[in-house]
Amino acid sequence: MNQSIQKEASRQGNQRLLRVHVVVGITFSLFMYISVFFGIFAIVLPYISAWEKPSKHYAMPDIRNINYSAMIDPVLADPDYPMINGVQIRLPGYRGNPSLTIYAPFTQRRIFNPNTNEEVKNEGKQSQLARFLNHMHYGRPLKDFGYWLFGFVAVAGLFLVVGGLVLVIVKKFNNTGKNAQSRFSKWHRKIFTWVFPPFIIITLTGALMNIGWTMSMPMTYVVSKGETFQEWKLTDPVLFPALPRIEKKNDIVPMLKMNELIKRAQEINPDINFNKIILINWKDSSAQAKLEGYNPYMPFLNGISNDPSVTLKGIDGSLISQNKVMDKHWSGLIYDSMMFLHKLFGVDTFTRFFVVFIMLISAFALGFGVLLWLEKKAKVFPKDIPVYQGMGKLSLAVMIGVIPATGLLFVLQWILPFDMQDRFLLQKGMFAVFWIATYTWACYKINSYETAKQFLKIAAVFFVISPFLHFYSSGFSPVRLWNENMGNILGVDIGLFIFALILFYVSVKLPSSREEAQKFWTRIL
Amino acid sequence: MNKYYALYKELSKIENNGRKIGLFRTICSIFGGCFLSYLAMTLLVFLLPGTVGESLTVPIVFHTIVWAMCSLWISIALTKWIALMRVFVPSFIFSILLVIFYNL
Repeated sequence: MNQSIQKEASRQGNQRLLRVHVVVGITFSLFMYISVFFGIFAIVLPYISAWEKPSKHYAMPDIRNINYSAMIDPVLADPDYPMINGVQIRLPGYRGNPSLTIYAPFTQRRIFNPNTNEEVKNEGKQSQLARFLNHMHYGRPLKDFGYWLFGFVAVAGLFLVVGGLVLVIVKKFNNTGKNAQSRFSKWHRKIFTWVFPPFIIITLTGALMNIGWTMSMPMTYVVSKGETFQEWKLTDPVLFPALPRIEKKNDIVPMLKMNELIKRAQEINPDINFNKIILINWKDSSAQAKLEGYNPYMPFLNGISNDPSVTLKGIDGSLISQNKVMDKHWSGLIYDSMMFLHKLFGVDTFTRFFVVFIMLISAFALGFGVLLWLEKKAKVFPKDIPVYQGMGKLSLAVMIGVIPATGLLFVLQWILPFDMQDRFLLQKGMFAVFWIATYTWACYKINSYETAKQFLKIAAVFFVISPFLHFYSSGFSPVRLWNENMGNILGVDIGLFIFALILFYVSVKLPSSREEAQKFWTRIL
Repeated sequence: MNKYYALYKELSKIENNGRKIGLFRTICSIFGGCFLSYLAMTLLVFLLPGTVGESLTVPIVFHTIVWAMCSLWISIALTKWIALMRVFVPSFIFSILLVIFYNL
């Protein structure tokens, strides 16, 4: 009796494991796909944000011979520049940004081109393509609702990864099936067993950023024994310690030149790529400069909350204190090692594109999961009739329809004039309308295969014209971009062009009926 | 008393197969999983060495994956009663421990 109950329990356990994976998977699949799809654009965000703005069309400067003093010292020499609250300077290379930014609280940011040492005027809120793509990645356009939704989707994603791993271990799947359904199943499992370690970390940190911190209020209240609800009041002294307040001596003395200051810091710790300077009590004899940076020899341990730094005296540049990577408390190191893979601050191009590749195949694996479910639903109908199914149409519009809609965003970026009123509103509005229109079209057409091909062809057209629009509207030809060392911007153009060619090739190759689809998927997968 | 026993009998009935998850398990798994993992992580803050600020970060970071694991564990329970017990028994133990640590 006991043995038969145990057998039944294990049978039902396996059934539930699979069932719960299918139910949660199909419920959250489209949201997860949106997050991954826009996440891929968010990974290449530094490149897109340089591509989208005419004011950032200059070469990435060589960090070794920038004349910092020529840009920073005149600003600080201005007696009216407010330094009472400290001044922040972001050096070229800060999170992939080629410009130099000087910022004091409650003032306009001063932005400089480090090649010519001239001040440039930023487009500000008129150009927000990269920002918007990043916002779509985590539900920001829907405000708090979006945060909670995408945070919950991330938790569901973790549930699916953990459940999927257990399934692969306990259940015997066979990879020998000859129909499309078994091929989808095979690749869905294969890809996710390859990529689950980074995928799990990225999803975990995504959930943390969207809902983790917000949900920690009761926990904070309990562990602080009723002291506070706000977790940052407790964690910030460890993760982001505030600068010490230094008494002013109330005199005006000449300060060290910026070039000298950065050289001193580099001599003290040559491993750090300095990208941020914080000035305290500048021009006073108590002045200090804190130079923060990123140590590329210790990836995963610094760059998010842990910024190794050197603090120097403003008068003569003598060392006050320094923080190395391993000086951080272990909780900060764990936090950084988890967040590093998601944020990718300061990583090189190769790592960035490696993560793009991982996320790209994850998007395909997600797609195969949905296709597997749809194929199961369609299997009950004879092969010669097209299947009209609600979830199928919705997935078609969301998963394929999003590609031309995003293409439209890129096209509009260089068609709309930069001084146009409500430029960004129009851009994102047209993106939204186009995306919804793809759903209308998907529901109107019976044959989803044909519609998918059409969407991909439209997307190919949008993506292929956007680099040419960029060349024409910005006045930078590919030759000029190359000659003036703007490889990062030319790279985006080439990337968009190649992406368009791939989309066109795929749209031609894809099957256009159910019968063809069976042959197609069993051939290529 | 008989009524409660009947309810217990109803909840602990083994279903014919595991192809349906049902609302009961869904609610137990989402909310119960969240509650259980939250209590566990709160307890972890007390158990980790260091000040509160130092030990708070790691449990907050890992709460979501523990939530997902708890939800999975609860949702695949053989009967509804077992699912319910998987929520309440550990939650009860963690709550007691939390009360002790809170007043320590």
